[in-house]
Amino acid sequence: MAGKPVPRRKKKARGSRKRPQRASVRPRLRQFVLFAVGLAIGLLGPWIWWLDRQVSLRFADRHLAEASRVYARPLELHDGLAISRRDLLVELEAAGLRSGSPDQPGRFRADGERIEMHAPAFEFPDGRQAPRRVVVRLRDGAVEMPDAAAVLRLPPAELGRIMPLGDRVRTPLEIDEFPALLVTGAQAVEDRRFKHHGGIDLRGLARALWANLRAGEVVQGGSTITQQLVKNLFLSPERSLLRKFNEAIMAVSLEWRFSKAEILEAWLNEVYLGQDGRRAIHGFGRAAEYYFGQPVEALDAGQIALLVGMVRGASWYHPLRNPDRARERRDLVLAMFRDTGLIDPATYRRQQASGLGLRPSLRSGATPYGAFLDLVGRQLRADYRERDLRGTGLRIFTTLSPSAQAVAELALSEGLSRVEPEAQSLQGAIVLIEPGSGEARALVGDRVRGRHGFNRALDARRQVGSVIKPLVYLLALADPDAFTLVTPVEDRPLTVPVPGSEAWRPVNHDATSHGTVPLLEALARSYNQASVRIGLAVGVDALFGLMRQLGVAPGRAAHPAAFLGAVDLTPLQVAQLYQPIAAEGYSTPIRAVRDVVDRDGRSIARYPLRLRPLPQRDALALLDFALRRVVTHGTASALPRLLGSDPGIRGKTGTTNDQRDAWFVGYTADWLGVVWAGRDDNRPAGVGGASTALPIWADLFSRLPLRPVRPARPEAVEWFWIDWPEPLLADEDCDGALAVPFIAGSQPEALSECIERRGVWPFGG
Amino acid sequence: MPHKPVRFVVTSLALGATVLLLATSCAWQPTLDDPEIAERVRAPQDGESSRGLQVYPLRNPAVRELEQAAEAARAEGDFDRAGALLERALRIEDRDPELLQRMAEFQLSRGRWEQAESYAVRSWELGPQVGEICRRNWQTIALAREREGEVMGAAQARERVEICPLEPPERF
Repeated sequence: MAGKPVPRRKKKARGSRKRPQRASVRPRLRQFVLFAVGLAIGLLGPWIWWLDRQVSLRFADRHLAEASRVYARPLELHDGLAISRRDLLVELEAAGLRSGSPDQPGRFRADGERIEMHAPAFEFPDGRQAPRRVVVRLRDGAVEMPDAAAVLRLPPAELGRIMPLGDRVRTPLEIDEFPALLVTGAQAVEDRRFKHHGGIDLRGLARALWANLRAGEVVQGGSTITQQLVKNLFLSPERSLLRKFNEAIMAVSLEWRFSKAEILEAWLNEVYLGQDGRRAIHGFGRAAEYYFGQPVEALDAGQIALLVGMVRGASWYHPLRNPDRARERRDLVLAMFRDTGLIDPATYRRQQASGLGLRPSLRSGATPYGAFLDLVGRQLRADYRERDLRGTGLRIFTTLSPSAQAVAELALSEGLSRVEPEAQSLQGAIVLIEPGSGEARALVGDRVRGRHGFNRALDARRQVGSVIKPLVYLLALADPDAFTLVTPVEDRPLTVPVPGSEAWRPVNHDATSHGTVPLLEALARSYNQASVRIGLAVGVDALFGLMRQLGVAPGRAAHPAAFLGAVDLTPLQVAQLYQPIAAEGYSTPIRAVRDVVDRDGRSIARYPLRLRPLPQRDALALLDFALRRVVTHGTASALPRLLGSDPGIRGKTGTTNDQRDAWFVGYTADWLGVVWAGRDDNRPAGVGGASTALPIWADLFSRLPLRPVRPARPEAVEWFWIDWPEPLLADEDCDGALAVPFIAGSQPEALSECIERRGVWPFGG
Repeated sequence: MPHKPVRFVVTSLALGATVLLLATSCAWQPTLDDPEIAERVRAPQDGESSRGLQVYPLRNPAVRELEQAAEAARAEGDFDRAGALLERALRIEDRDPELLQRMAEFQLSRGRWEQAESYAVRSWELGPQVGEICRRNWQTIALAREREGEVMGAAQARERVEICPLEPPERF
């Protein structure tokens, strides 16, 4: 407004020089004009300066707020890899590959057991990997790669975007990640002279006006992409002349300060494309995920045209609410693509005849990997320096296995529905890790798939019951002079004095006492009274000390009931306690993150693989044997039947008072799984370790590729035949003899009658 | 050519420095990467080729390929890449004795004595406990302990090197 009168008055002032005779009036006018010019410059200058400053600051700030991308672990395909066809397809789809002709990168074709894929290029932390096309065959649940190099690392699945320090979530992409048709097509439709104008396009405005006049309706918008971006980024939605003026100044300033590519990239990421419930969808990346369930690079011409068409009015052309309108608009945009030569007439005809291709995300309003991303965020904040995480556009490489995650979600939801088909009061959680590396492969924190609220895997602190017992036994076995697996233990009623409170009288689950039993049996059958006796010999302090050593804070004051699991722990903490047991005595913190890389590809920090043997390694080998016994002869003996096979599972059940909590922890060499079930309000739930948690665990593990377990024994561990259940040496020909591992020198010395009778020395000359 | 003498001086200087470095690295606890130490593990003893019983288990071709790539990276002096490739291989197969031993040698060449020993012990536990790889296991353990200042432990490990060519003790 204020810009226009000034030159007009200047003209008059200039003209005044020709008519000096009326000079008496002129000086006052001249003074006024000069004053007005000064005022205008004085007001406008700072105003423009301020707008310009806002643009530069806030545009740069936008980068600071850019989310970090989180990736799953990449699947390494190689000859002999055990994976089912179903899981391989889950992995390919999660990695962003789509069914189609493998001539094109990012597509695969599954033809029975033959799967041909064209893995797209990917920038790994250790360097760029070129696109690769391979044929894979699946035979007996294992991969065969006959004519390719020995190993193909698939690009990792993108799990989502997070703001490591907590903030708004976005889905920004770089300009070269958008399909070329989208980038040029959007310009063709929205702003044809984008490359040439300086922020405002007067010619474009005139043409739009003319086109609209001819058509009798609004067919072209007048504002440039730069103006739209300004509107989206900086301005409130109200329409006023002042706002229009600000928009123009800011557009020019943006053009002056930033490159066309930066502006276009920002626009592609910021443009408003509809609502997902209460959350606005900004940017083509997020919109592609929301409307088509696909990454933007996988969209076809019709889908691109639909989204580009929506820029004009995202709710007016909303494809879910107003499909007819959306389709009409899409066809119009397709025609514009054809007319400008962006697509050929054949593509135009094919796309125009096809449907809208909508596949809205079923988990609207939730991130599919919410529970795991939670863990990623917490570990980042705990282990990384804040100033490293403040960096923009980090790439976070994590440990999740998309196929294992899918299986775990299914196992929990189906398992709890089996127990409780109607009511939804039962809840549960699953933690699945790879024991050797401590890497988290799957995390489920709610029985409803994709629902993300209370994350029970990380936050449900519950009594663990008998699941704690292996630690008590480990401490006992670490003192081979006092305890071996065959040491007789009394399972009889006992009274434990507790300072400052009533004496404690533990009872067994079946309310009977079992007399004198070998230590191995007391653990396998989870006898409480025997376990408390062993616990009293090692002490609560030792138990809590061991938990702390493994990175788990035991919390409350030391009461001897802790020997029976009166300790509140989360499923993740339980997994942490079992990690070294499952990893043959090598201890490592559970990790969800492998590597964090900044936007220039530099590694900020990584967790290298390390081997840290625990001092109790030898005793752990004995404990491993006992946990195997739980499955073959103890409380988890239903497992082989449930699983349909038994590759040598080790595990432990846990049930708490009044059946409030059900636990099962079990492992092979490749997987360690923790399952918890119970009610959020901690009321009696009628659940049990063997009856509720074990079947869910079995269901989960029946869908995982399982290899037979062959643990290596530490050098100090030796095997002897025992005249079970007596702590006497026997040999393999004695009836009912059992081979038991001992820490060398701690084996019994007394010989069994069987040996005496046969008169053979069992251990050679 | 005026450049020739200059180049000669530079070359001889570099040679001299290398010799000096090599000489000091024997006496010093190396803080720099020390690729030669891994060579010492691999070199056949007493100049003769591997003695006694040898066991060559079937190996995962993916692991072998990554191992070779790691070896190439190490030869080029790109230790970060070599380490990353060995880790990749270990994530595919963490129970391969040969791979674990290579990781042990890699850790040794980077001066991480404790990790070198742990990986060598793990390789020995999972391996044939006899023959060439057994010798490398204990040779690594001996060197790592030596550098850590564990004189007794190193001596014990050297004794184990000697019995590797023999049959392993019969165990259940």
